[in-house]
Amino acid sequence: MLTTGFKLWFGIFVAALGAAVFGGYTSGGDETGPISFAWKGTVGNHVSYGLLMTAAAVALGLALFSVAFRDGDAEAAAELLDTDDAPPAQRPVGGSWWPVFAALGVGATAVGVVVHPAVFVIGICAVAAIAVEWTMTNWSEKLSGDDAHNAEHREKLMRPVEIPVLGAAGVGVLVLAVSRVLLASSANGAVVVATIVGVVVLGGAVLISRNPSLPRGIVQLVLLVGFVAVIVAGIVTAATGEREFHQKGGDTYAPDTQSGDGH
Amino acid sequence: MTDTPLETDDATALERVVTSTDANTLGRYWIGAGSLTLLASLVAGVLVALERLDLGGTEVFGSADEIFQFWSAHRVGFVLLAIVPILVGLGTAVVPFQVGSDSIAFPRMAAFSFWTWLIGAATTVTGFLIDGGLGTPGAGGQRQAIALTLVGLLMVIGGLLGATVSLLTTIVCGRVAGLTLGRIPLFSWTLLVAGTFWLLTLPVLAANAVLAYVDLRGRTAVRFGAEEAIWEQLSWAFSHPQVYAFALPLVGIAFDIAPVSVRSRLATHDVVLVLTGMLGVVGFGAYAQSFFDTPGTPVMNEAIYVVGAFAAALVVLALFGGLVDALRQGVAISQSGTGNNPPAPMILSALAMLLLLAAAVVGALRAVDPFDLLATSATGAQMTLTMGAAFVGAMAGTLWWGDRIFGRVASQGLGLLAGLSAVTGVLLVGVADLFSGFKGQNDFTGASVAAAGSPDSGVDTLNLVAMVGSVLLLVGALGWFANGIRRLTGVAAPSDPWGGHTLEWAADPSAVEVTSERPLLDALENSGKTS
Repeated sequence: MLTTGFKLWFGIFVAALGAAVFGGYTSGGDETGPISFAWKGTVGNHVSYGLLMTAAAVALGLALFSVAFRDGDAEAAAELLDTDDAPPAQRPVGGSWWPVFAALGVGATAVGVVVHPAVFVIGICAVAAIAVEWTMTNWSEKLSGDDAHNAEHREKLMRPVEIPVLGAAGVGVLVLAVSRVLLASSANGAVVVATIVGVVVLGGAVLISRNPSLPRGIVQLVLLVGFVAVIVAGIVTAATGEREFHQKGGDTYAPDTQSGDGH
Repeated sequence: MTDTPLETDDATALERVVTSTDANTLGRYWIGAGSLTLLASLVAGVLVALERLDLGGTEVFGSADEIFQFWSAHRVGFVLLAIVPILVGLGTAVVPFQVGSDSIAFPRMAAFSFWTWLIGAATTVTGFLIDGGLGTPGAGGQRQAIALTLVGLLMVIGGLLGATVSLLTTIVCGRVAGLTLGRIPLFSWTLLVAGTFWLLTLPVLAANAVLAYVDLRGRTAVRFGAEEAIWEQLSWAFSHPQVYAFALPLVGIAFDIAPVSVRSRLATHDVVLVLTGMLGVVGFGAYAQSFFDTPGTPVMNEAIYVVGAFAAALVVLALFGGLVDALRQGVAISQSGTGNNPPAPMILSALAMLLLLAAAVVGALRAVDPFDLLATSATGAQMTLTMGAAFVGAMAGTLWWGDRIFGRVASQGLGLLAGLSAVTGVLLVGVADLFSGFKGQNDFTGASVAAAGSPDSGVDTLNLVAMVGSVLLLVGALGWFANGIRRLTGVAAPSDPWGGHTLEWAADPSAVEVTSERPLLDALENSGKTS
């Protein structure tokens, strides 16, 4: 029996194939080119022909998959599993941090390609780390039918890795971002920025530690806004570039650490 | 840090927002973010329309390149940052209900797709705003900003593709027993067809963007990354026939709303399945890339392009006829005294189909060689009419399914008024730009009369009409957005305000026996309570 899905995608296959051949002939192709996939002869507009043929091939693949798996109908799945009812296709999963972090990682990678290699490297590292975390989450969810047990098992395995790595990565990113800001600021401005950042970080930590009853959401929001602000500042200043350094003593690089004069 | 059922325990509001994998919530995100970018793109459209009031110079912007940046930002924003995401959001929220699934397939990937799209959209908009965009005719943009726009566009495409995969997998593999593909509601069906073509064409657009990016980032662009060439490589995605593939779900919205509104079955259900499949086929626009024309054979003058344009008009005409036929039964019921006033979503979805028909007619006219409309403002008219139709369809869809998605009631009157404003605006822009095209006005008018194609007299008045239309479209979008905000604070919605026929209106879809495409209507008729 030909299923509805097969009819849809096979119809698309036929239409795309027909359009490719028709387009091949009407755009300057010779007698044999369009029907021989340009093996013998020419097809005229080869870009149109290639894209339509590719679409036809994909549609044919989908049609064959569809008919082979009977459109993925629930009855077909139940019959295959030899049960009365088909299993739920997708059970709801709980909230997850990985999608948003993975998107941020991909975003950093993509923007880094344009803006600065350091941002690109950070993005790649983030994507790689999240890929491992996400994989471990999916693995642990299949350990048993007990979600709590699965989560505990996963934490036992991953916590000793996550906490030091996340801590080091967080510090590294902050250092990198703040250092870009300092390098882009004037000599005096860098001192001011460093002082402000230090005071804000220390003051914020003191404030939070002395008020343990602060709602978790507010703490998260403040930390998130601060982190994003530092990252954005780092990216923007990295894109702007460092300030001009004039070295003393001619061609020899000799940073003057005594005077702190970076001009 | 681990994955927990955050949406049910003591997670903070921030955690709930950023970690949600619930299809309904993700659908709201798509719709909300899409509506914001819609407003931004329509503002860009109004500014460009204002600029066009004086073809001889620059009034609003500083240069022709700046006009081009906003002109192209309006098109990209309207299509890939607004209408398609809103339709994806509507699908993400509604499709699992329609097929009786507990969740969307790959819920974490669906969430990842949304966030990727959002970051990509922000990057794209930033690229446009910092003197980038998708190239300029005078090569006056910042190369790094153009690269940023291209990278943002790639992320946007990636996000849309991921969301489409989730949707299509839900439709194919998440259906309850008895709900064969031929019986799924038509909105889900049109998403299946449209999604297939999005998966076939968006990667081509991504390949175009990668090609341009790689060349742009070299020392001197050889061909693909030359600033004046980038838009030409990408423009196929924002014009005839590709826009039909993007707008296709509006047909499903209209055909899901009409039969319920007129309390009848859709006698032509199977015909609509075939016709929407055909509309998807003629909406495959990736082949129509004029940038890669073989010398002497411009693709837009080839027979395949002309045949496709006329086929689209015929298919849309047949679909429109089917819708009118379905609605005629409703008129009969109303006259017999058993019907109610036509609901706002029904009116809007019918008008959206009318706009789509107008777009298809403009598309066919544009393909007629003697009219010489291919490079004129008729191109913009066709795009505005098609994507405007999709927008009005989405307005109808959010009014129809909004109670189910948001759990709160919105004002149907305000929704109808906003929709009518948008319809009027789209029509004014479409008709004015079509006639401007006949008078020889270029699609992009630049900053001088010569750059605008030295059009015939009367084009200034038509541009004024188009500007009024742009403002009305923006007003309609603002009204729709305001109605959405009002909905968030509205009273709790009933579970089935329309007396729906399909599974999204069932309290427990697993308890419904599916033996046709209208299982709830079957249950009602079997229980002896005919509607």
